[in-house]
Amino acid sequence: MNVNATDNALMAAVSAGEVQKLAVLFERHHRGLFRYFVSMNRNREASEDLVQDVFFRMLRYRASYDAKQSFTAWMYQIARNASVDQAQKRRGEVIGIEEFADRRADAAPGPEASAAQTQDLKLLRQALDRLPPDKREILVLSRFQGMKHEELARVLDCEVGTVKVRVYRAMRALEQAYSALIGEKTA
Amino acid sequence: MNCEEAKLDLPEYLSHSLNEARELEFASHIAGCEACRSETERLGALWKGLALLPGTMPSPGVEVRERFYESLTAYKHGMASAKPAWRDRLAAFWPAVAFAALAMGVGIGYMARPAGLAPNSGPEVAQLRGEVNSMRQMVALSLMQQQSAGERLRGVSWAYRAEPSDTEVLSALLTTVNNDASVNVRMAAVDALHAFGASPVTRTAIVQSISKQTSPLVQIALIDLLVDLKATEAAPDLRKLIADQSIDSSVRERANWALGRLVQ
Repeated sequence: MNVNATDNALMAAVSAGEVQKLAVLFERHHRGLFRYFVSMNRNREASEDLVQDVFFRMLRYRASYDAKQSFTAWMYQIARNASVDQAQKRRGEVIGIEEFADRRADAAPGPEASAAQTQDLKLLRQALDRLPPDKREILVLSRFQGMKHEELARVLDCEVGTVKVRVYRAMRALEQAYSALIGEKTA
Repeated sequence: MNCEEAKLDLPEYLSHSLNEARELEFASHIAGCEACRSETERLGALWKGLALLPGTMPSPGVEVRERFYESLTAYKHGMASAKPAWRDRLAAFWPAVAFAALAMGVGIGYMARPAGLAPNSGPEVAQLRGEVNSMRQMVALSLMQQQSAGERLRGVSWAYRAEPSDTEVLSALLTTVNNDASVNVRMAAVDALHAFGASPVTRTAIVQSISKQTSPLVQIALIDLLVDLKATEAAPDLRKLIADQSIDSSVRERANWALGRLVQ
């Protein structure tokens, strides 16, 4: 069994009926998906449900997968749809954003983040949270998930040229939010 | 390249995804443009910071994985039971097919039975069991290749669910025992080898691994495993180990103890 198979090859196998291979894709991607959802909705429980939902949908729509297209782009298209559907279902419900924010503040930094960086990263996290959802989303997809502009264009259903403009604007907005937070801190 | 073009290329420059010619143009531009150079430095610092943020974020709970595998197993059960149901519907709506099936005898009738009457030892159950084993194997192998030691530990724990005859999982466990960077993962893999102990390949590999190990803890765990497996054939190798002064003294003491247990 080849565990180093590409995502596209694995999903093509799932599509052909070897559904157990979805387990490998789950192990590779469920954390990234969770971080994407958490970055967007700031709610752990809702994000965990969404991760389940995405993999359910992959099974349900496996026959529609085109192996010539990027698996990552396909998966995040499903993720965005799942997120929209959940938001519609939960309209009117109170989402526990504050509770999640507390947990996140206590989260230990990764080994690559030194103690000196922790405060800066906390501010950067807050700045990212302050961005409008569309700007936050494009930065999360391009930086957390490492998506190329061509993949982003597929996920966001726009031209590559538009992606370039949107990523640049999102970076500038992040810089402004970050500077504003530093200003608030030193005031 | 003008400033406007440079701004649009900036994120790709920061992520090193511009082609060589374009990257050169960008670098030439910022070398002569103070404003763009300054912006590249400022946004570059934020870009680097963004890459570190996932490390500060919470991970999904363990129940996410459990729920996924339960769902996947349930889905596979559903797929397996859907096939006889389809045959039933075909028989109901197409009497000629049902008649022909009956006429062709017990063998085909057996194949066309409803799911509820399927005995546990039927070929579909055997196939399903095979698929579940295959899934367990894949999860174990996949996790044991992860960068995070915690994930590799999970992979080792999945190895307990593999069949003792599964040579791929055995091979992955032996690779982990011999090469994993984490002592904890190596120790866990040694424990998991117990289920594979009936195989002569396992027992030989355990003996060979002792001298390769740099951690006395792992060496002692391997020696204990030989005792648990009653691997009397390892006695000559244990004697060599005891005589080798370059081996840690606590390991040699344990080997001496093991030798006494195995040859008594």
